[in-house]
Amino acid sequence: MLCVFRCAGRPFRLSPSVGAGVRYISSESSSSSQSPPKTASFGFRTVPEESKESLVKEVFDSVASSYDLMNDASSLGVHRLWKDDFVSRLRPGRKGPLKCIDVAGGTGDIALRILDYAREKHYDRETTVEVVDINGEMLKEGFKRFKQTMYHNTPQVSFHEANAQELPPSQFPDNNYDLYTIAFGIRNCTSIPAVLQEAHRILKPGGTFACLEFSKVNNPVLSMLYEQYSFSIIPLLGTILAGDRNSYQYLVESIRRFPPQPEFADMIREAGFKTGENIDGGAWTDLWGGIACIHTGVKI
Amino acid sequence: MSRTQLLQLATNLVNTHGFTRKALAESVLSLPPGQAHPEPLSDTAVSALFGIGDDARRTLIHAWLDQGVRHMGTVPSPTLKSVLHARLRYNEPMLQHLPEAFALLASPNSGVSLLDPIPILKHSSRIADESCYISGDTSVQFSWYVRRASIAGIYGASELHQLTSPSTAYSFLDNLFDTANNFGTSLEELGLFSSYVFKSWKGIFKSKGIV
Repeated sequence: MLCVFRCAGRPFRLSPSVGAGVRYISSESSSSSQSPPKTASFGFRTVPEESKESLVKEVFDSVASSYDLMNDASSLGVHRLWKDDFVSRLRPGRKGPLKCIDVAGGTGDIALRILDYAREKHYDRETTVEVVDINGEMLKEGFKRFKQTMYHNTPQVSFHEANAQELPPSQFPDNNYDLYTIAFGIRNCTSIPAVLQEAHRILKPGGTFACLEFSKVNNPVLSMLYEQYSFSIIPLLGTILAGDRNSYQYLVESIRRFPPQPEFADMIREAGFKTGENIDGGAWTDLWGGIACIHTGVKI
Repeated sequence: MSRTQLLQLATNLVNTHGFTRKALAESVLSLPPGQAHPEPLSDTAVSALFGIGDDARRTLIHAWLDQGVRHMGTVPSPTLKSVLHARLRYNEPMLQHLPEAFALLASPNSGVSLLDPIPILKHSSRIADESCYISGDTSVQFSWYVRRASIAGIYGASELHQLTSPSTAYSFLDNLFDTANNFGTSLEELGLFSSYVFKSWKGIFKSKGIV
């Protein structure tokens, strides 16, 4: 498959050669002399590593068209508040235009918020966002959405299909971006450290890495309620609204497999970023008691 | 280069820029050759490293206060007075920025903007505790608290005095110390006299067969 869209006056290629890994899950591989088959986690299940790519691709192909509807239904619209909060904390455009990259941002809702924030709050029409996703279906949804906006066919936005773990240096050179965002995407990656390394590579010195992701709820009462809601209501809504229980079951399970806040902050530092102190309000900011969490780091 | 080192570099810029986000942003310009950035940190990066809005400025103020506490430990042959004098001297280059810094510390992060005295009290108490530790204070139990509370009060008043009259702050501190010592001595004498009175009354009641 080789689709070419035109967006922002430049060709948008959906290249199969780079299509492996943005929306994939953590893997555990063994290197014993017997070479047992490599496995990866797919939600709570363990599956052969070679099959996980297609499994996760199926999940996102399946949910792409109803992704935002389901997000609204399952979070009661709260994901919009989290995304608004995420972008407003970054204050794009406050001190001049930024060159941004939004990874795993297929449906374009973070990119749109960045551009709207910069324009509405700081009269900035020079900030640009490159939307990157492994999944062509998700990118198509984003492209479609941007057609409704003033940013369509402007240099402010472009779409690229690429692997977050192996961003092609020819397309995404070193020290090139001021801001790297990834929202509700990194937990699906095969190797989180590899994604972080790539983020560090492509950011300019002084550039900011910002990640919005589901995380660990520390309040036991809230945690119990959240647990019940996640495993009972969300898959049910997936069945009713999207006709796809399994995909939403996977999404809920993958949230539980994601490292808690301090552990993920350590991973960010190990990739070479500097962060605030290892507390809520420092290296990360909990939203709604930790249901979601914003992690930030700076390349110095 | 860690965040702490950047904060340290930013404290060196406070004299020029005040306790501002600009001082934090420009800290990367002072990095050693080869590591120094050509441009200041972006606003997004300052928020990510040091906090959003005024929280970043609070982080810088706390870093500067921490440095002040460490500075107290550098006094040769330390006595309580010399340590507190050194701490007042540490304030001198920043005096023009201190009222705003203390006002910011006393302003709550959110909600109704009533003044919150706790950060300022913590600041004085920390200096009192550190000065007692450096000067080898050996008081224990109740007197441990009384000692620190009185030093915190004396230092807080002297620092406040320093903001309006820097040249007389040291003599003001010494006077307060002398007054406090005299007050303490008077209090001890009063206690001793009271104990004699109490013993006398006890003797009288015993001789009358009341107790």
